Amino acid sequence: MARVEFRNVRKEFHDQQKGTFTAVEGSDFVINDKEFVVFVGPSGCGKTTSLRMIAGLEHQSSGDIIIGDRVVNNLHPKDRDIAMVFQDYALYPHMTIRENLSFGLRNLKKPKAYIEQKVQEAASILDLESMLERKPRELSGGQRQRVAVGRAIVRDPQVFLFDEPLSNLDAKLRIQMRVELAELHKRLGATIVYVTHDQVEAMTLGERIVVMNKGAIQQIASPTELYAKPRNMFVAGFIGSPAMNFMDAELDGNRVLVNGTVLELPESMLSSSLADYDKKKVILGIRPEDIYGEDFVQNVKVEGKMTTSVQVVEHLGSENLVYFQVGERSVTAKVHPETKAYVGLEKTFILDLGKVHFFDPETEMRISD
Amino acid sequence: MHSKSKIIMVTVASVILGLWAIVTIIPLYWMIIGSVQDTTLSATYKPQMIPSIWSVAPFERFFSKTSAWRWLFNSVFISAVLTATNVFFGSLAGYAFAKLKFPGSKTVFWVLLSTMMIPAQVTLIPLYVLIINVFNLGDTYTAIILPGAVSVGNIFLMKQYMSSLPTSLIHAARIDACSEFGIFWKVILPLAKPGLAVLAIFTFVTSWNDFFWPFLITSSDEMRTIQVGLASFVFAESTDYGAIMAGATVGALPMMILFFSLQRYFLQGITIGAVKG
Repeated sequence: MARVEFRNVRKEFHDQQKGTFTAVEGSDFVINDKEFVVFVGPSGCGKTTSLRMIAGLEHQSSGDIIIGDRVVNNLHPKDRDIAMVFQDYALYPHMTIRENLSFGLRNLKKPKAYIEQKVQEAASILDLESMLERKPRELSGGQRQRVAVGRAIVRDPQVFLFDEPLSNLDAKLRIQMRVELAELHKRLGATIVYVTHDQVEAMTLGERIVVMNKGAIQQIASPTELYAKPRNMFVAGFIGSPAMNFMDAELDGNRVLVNGTVLELPESMLSSSLADYDKKKVILGIRPEDIYGEDFVQNVKVEGKMTTSVQVVEHLGSENLVYFQVGERSVTAKVHPETKAYVGLEKTFILDLGKVHFFDPETEMRISD
Repeated sequence: MHSKSKIIMVTVASVILGLWAIVTIIPLYWMIIGSVQDTTLSATYKPQMIPSIWSVAPFERFFSKTSAWRWLFNSVFISAVLTATNVFFGSLAGYAFAKLKFPGSKTVFWVLLSTMMIPAQVTLIPLYVLIINVFNLGDTYTAIILPGAVSVGNIFLMKQYMSSLPTSLIHAARIDACSEFGIFWKVILPLAKPGLAVLAIFTFVTSWNDFFWPFLITSSDEMRTIQVGLASFVFAESTDYGAIMAGATVGALPMMILFFSLQRYFLQGITIGAVKG
């Protein structure tokens, strides 16, 4: 296994009609040995391009990519000692599962006995033993997914690359495969780079997450840190479901004015960086789960009250989503299902002021720490 | 109301198609009937739709008076070689245009495609001069085969077909340490089989039925294909209808058998560009 490093890696695509498009802008990061790192971001953020550059399927416009202790800039994919699992599985439809699994090793001219042993090992790990003589079309989506993973395992690569491997599976199977992948990582102790647009997948699988947008890295952090201390409004809005609420606000000492409502901030929130914004406009961010209905408040140390009328209520069983308007922005609260709420109700909501975030309205960067 | 108009539409369409089928089939029927009846009958004023005297004599006369076996061999040989070269070069070029990135690929492809707009007749004389005067290949198999060794139409067909194959397979194979030719040979070709079958059948039939180029480039009797030989036989034996019909049947029958046995692929060939592209 090995570490992967990007040193100022940039990727541009040239198109005669559309001109030059920058897919990845000067990326710098290190993925440690045996680490499970997830690239996450919306479509077109450069996450898949980054993965394909590690694989050698795309060549970077500038910068260096290092796998282990080798600069792999000019190495062919087969010489990079990586294996990749594709979104559409990319199993060879005309070959049996056994042939699919052994294809790479056969190309590398490994001894027959070794290939057989490796195929058996992978098949046993992934519970594919009974399907070795079948063709991919005879398998279900989940089974095909396991074959695709198996094809990567038999190679014993330094780095595993996963390109949105679960996006073609149904919700139930996706959760099951997510658990299996996490177990596989523990078992193989492998360096894994995983691309997804699904933030739940990213949060549950990744030891560290690289959040990307428009070709640029927004933040690299552990799931807990991303959630608790998002570096900017993009990360704050992208991580967490439903997304973090933003409200236009103005700071005044230890008070914050939101749409005519005055909220008193706790001592713990008052940092020196926040003091710089005294009497200035800021964006207040609060997660839906940190807003409660007045009649069902749990563990809130410093309460901020806000009364407004309920616009929409969504019943999800385990919780309710209540939508209301603050100024021009729509706000979502994720409340206990027994919280009283119906459309048109004039209701007081409790904001957990110990968990609010502040952002600069111009730069959209985090103010509080 | 709706179903009534539908019934009328279906009836009208059936009648038109039925008439069209009759018009198309009658000459073929006439050819086959003319080749298996006594010669005296095929030249009579009132033709018989079902012959009263059956005979294989027309075939005997056709084969004894001509080098028909040699012509058939030539046709089979030339069509087979042309099929092989078109499958090989067409699939390689189609793959390159569909899946490989190389500078100028689009330009080269469009230049190639634009040559399809030039009628074959325009290039016939320069091609003739090239083959006869420059390469000195007149009256040889090479002369018949070389100009058709790969056609732009086939390259286009294969490009369309291969564009529909998932690119991730190529990437997977590349990561699986497969060489570039290995990817083509072990992954792409097996998956392109239906497309290749269509290409092979169309090429074989076209080559078999080709008349003008072999007619132009061959001068000796033993280099003729069945179609060219038949024409020369018609000129020489203009009164022996039976033998002429027998020759025409010999020339046409293999393709008819081929068509009916591989009908599925012919239909596939028509839709390849439209649906898969």
